[in-house]
Amino acid sequence: MVGAHPMIELRGLYRHFGRTRAVNDVSFSVARGQVFGYIGPNGAGKTTSMRILATLDQPTSGDAFVDGFSVVDDPDRVRFRLGFMPDYFGTYANVNVREYLDFFARAYGLRGAERTRALSYVMSFTKLDTLSEKPIDGLSKGMKQRLCLGRAMIHDPAVMILDEPAAGLDPRARIQLREMIRELAADGKAILISSHILTELAEMCDLVGIIEQGRLLAVGNVAEIQRGHETLHATPIHARILGGADGASQWLAARQEIQEIRTDGELIAFEHRGDREAEVQLLRDLVQAGFPVLAFGSQTRSLEEVFMQVTRGHVQ
Amino acid sequence: MTTIEHLRTPPSPEGTAAARQTWWDRFDRAALRASEWLNPILVKETRQALKSRQFMITFTLVLTAAWIWSMLGVSMIGPNIYHGFHGWDMFCGYFVILAFPLLVIVPFGAFRSLASEREDGTYELLSVTTLRPRQIVSGKLGSAVVQMLVYFSAVSPCLAFTYMLKGIDFPTVLCVMFYTFIASLGLSVIGLVVATATAEKHWQIVLSVFLLFGLALAFYAGLAIVIGGLSQTSLPFQDPEFWAANAAMLTGFGAYFVLFFCVASAQLTFASNNRSTALRVVMLAQQALFTGWMGWTFHHADGDLEILFPYLILSGLHWTIMGMFMNGESPELSHRVKRQLPQSFLGRAFLTWFNPGPAAGFVFAVINMATVLLLAGAALIANAAFYPGRLPGWLGMNPREMIVIFAIVEFSYVVVYLGLGRLLAAGLRKVHQGGMLLCALCQVLLVLLGCGAPLTVHLMIADLRMDYSLLEITNPFWSLIEIVEHRSLSPEMVVLLVVLPVTAGCVLLANLPSVVAAVRQVRIAKPVRVAEEDEFFELQRHPPQPIIDPLAD
Repeated sequence: MVGAHPMIELRGLYRHFGRTRAVNDVSFSVARGQVFGYIGPNGAGKTTSMRILATLDQPTSGDAFVDGFSVVDDPDRVRFRLGFMPDYFGTYANVNVREYLDFFARAYGLRGAERTRALSYVMSFTKLDTLSEKPIDGLSKGMKQRLCLGRAMIHDPAVMILDEPAAGLDPRARIQLREMIRELAADGKAILISSHILTELAEMCDLVGIIEQGRLLAVGNVAEIQRGHETLHATPIHARILGGADGASQWLAARQEIQEIRTDGELIAFEHRGDREAEVQLLRDLVQAGFPVLAFGSQTRSLEEVFMQVTRGHVQ
Repeated sequence: MTTIEHLRTPPSPEGTAAARQTWWDRFDRAALRASEWLNPILVKETRQALKSRQFMITFTLVLTAAWIWSMLGVSMIGPNIYHGFHGWDMFCGYFVILAFPLLVIVPFGAFRSLASEREDGTYELLSVTTLRPRQIVSGKLGSAVVQMLVYFSAVSPCLAFTYMLKGIDFPTVLCVMFYTFIASLGLSVIGLVVATATAEKHWQIVLSVFLLFGLALAFYAGLAIVIGGLSQTSLPFQDPEFWAANAAMLTGFGAYFVLFFCVASAQLTFASNNRSTALRVVMLAQQALFTGWMGWTFHHADGDLEILFPYLILSGLHWTIMGMFMNGESPELSHRVKRQLPQSFLGRAFLTWFNPGPAAGFVFAVINMATVLLLAGAALIANAAFYPGRLPGWLGMNPREMIVIFAIVEFSYVVVYLGLGRLLAAGLRKVHQGGMLLCALCQVLLVLLGCGAPLTVHLMIADLRMDYSLLEITNPFWSLIEIVEHRSLSPEMVVLLVVLPVTAGCVLLANLPSVVAAVRQVRIAKPVRVAEEDEFFELQRHPPQPIIDPLAD
């Protein structure tokens, strides 16, 4: 049953622990096939909101929905549609890889041939098929992460919530995980993922939300956030002026929207407050003022820079 | 290759191996097919247990202990083994060896199994699956039963050996084993309840110490009953009353087993789900079963009124304890619960009290206690009508009046303490989001205060004779004992009979606003998305039949 509703939706979600507001009026939505990156410093409220979505906790007020079902009122309907990968492994002793996945497949009500098919698919997808008889105590961290991803997707959920899935992985494993997540999204799953590795999130996410002290500070796709941020904040611009940049430096210093000017021979760098059109106008003015401009370019801030500027590093 | 050629060809080693594997494969496939219908937790834990060191060590120890005891016992008995009656002595040794794993290790294992899931976070992974809390609890219990069966299988040859030695009959062996089994099952479900009480590690440690202490007590009690009790007398299998007593005990066991099972499941259930109604149904069933057995005893004892005292006392205790827990429930009804509220007038009149919430719970306890009073009244009428001369002499001048006074005073105490407890719990919830256990503890403290405070004052101002006075009006135990012991209507009793019902009425009135609020809760509609999905599943289950026109060509 495919509806018009978003697959994940948080509506005015609050979660208080005593005086601490772990989640403070958070709202966003994720559609089918989208990957939403949840970014924030430690203690920002990412895991709390993810736990509420995974029906492991209840909000103080507000609600969250998975495929249109409230996680508060209909947790049993939500659980069938949801694959949750927490930021810990949660493994059992004296169990091998196949037995572990088999147990969770049974726990999700898969029987007979359906279960066998699900096990084969998941073990092949996570490339664990060669390790099926290996005790899970003896798996490396990367393999355990794959196992946990396999556990979360064993019942083919429509929504996946992955809390720090790339934590502690080596670069190769991270790349493989990223490919797996993109593949899952291409398969139509809505994915909510949190991570500290922002460059990777920027590459794999369709949408990003930045949260700090329980508040959602920015939400949208990466380019939108970057643009929105540049409208509010200064954009770094580099230019090269033939014959020396001292004159241009004096000319620029007289303008209100320019700050932090640095020169080095022909090179000049400064911060410009304004949108793209204002940048074009500035270049036109420079040329009309008679400066021989050899090069002129603005630098888009990376997600990491935006994150650093948006957040203050405060914890509750 | 023809059939003859095939027969002449010697079987290759690979072929033999394949044949062997085929047999094993068949067994494996059959086991796998059977496991489809088993609880996933049972399957997982059985797999784990078969590989775990703890299980192997315990099993080996049980086998070794049984073997050593066999050797030691036979060598001590010596040649007498051929003509003496030594079966009982040997049986006692085997019972000790079996009772320890069954009464201590298995229940503690059940506790640790669930507690460690909560500590390690694996419980969260389980709870986000589609497994229901009841399946989780029954899986853990099933795993405990499998362990019990393995221990039984280790010792059963030894038990057969004791029967051959004479001195013990087969029904006694069977009876002791059966009760050990159900004791182990009962202790295991208690272990699971304890494990669900808290997720905090430090409290789990405290609880595990208490549980171990309790299990050790149960172990020693088991030894005392079997070795101490049965060595003196043999079980009266020919006596019908023996079977009646066993049936009553098993009914009690069953009722409390189901209650604890439901408590453990409710503790694991998501907060917005209805965790109370099933428990209330079980409480009601317990009361009905108890009433049934008491009625049966009353009939077989030719209308003996003495039976009414345990009936009233135990019912009063039952509803006070249950009421204290119900008072600790959250007063907020979730949307999910509100979707299932009764709608009709009769439904609201009779079923509202099964809904979650302290006010509904308080009324539920009071109604049930009032029913107990009515049934006791019916028993008094039956006694007067059918057994007019059957009156217990020790009750004094008019035993029927005494029972009526006892019942009214007891009922008033239940209403007063539960009503005040509910108000206390409601106040407590405003300042602290404590759980049900904290509210129940506060109510226990209230009762202790009611008993202890006047006693302290009495000790300070009066002499050491400690006669009952109206100062002890808040002490239900002493007041009720006084009614039974005094044998006549004393002035204090007259005051009790006036003050307590009036106070109970006032307490009921004080609780009335919350009760009215509970009754006024109305059913809310399902969200559109839920209704859509229900309709979708309904259509899948019962697809619309094509309309066939009989007149069409």
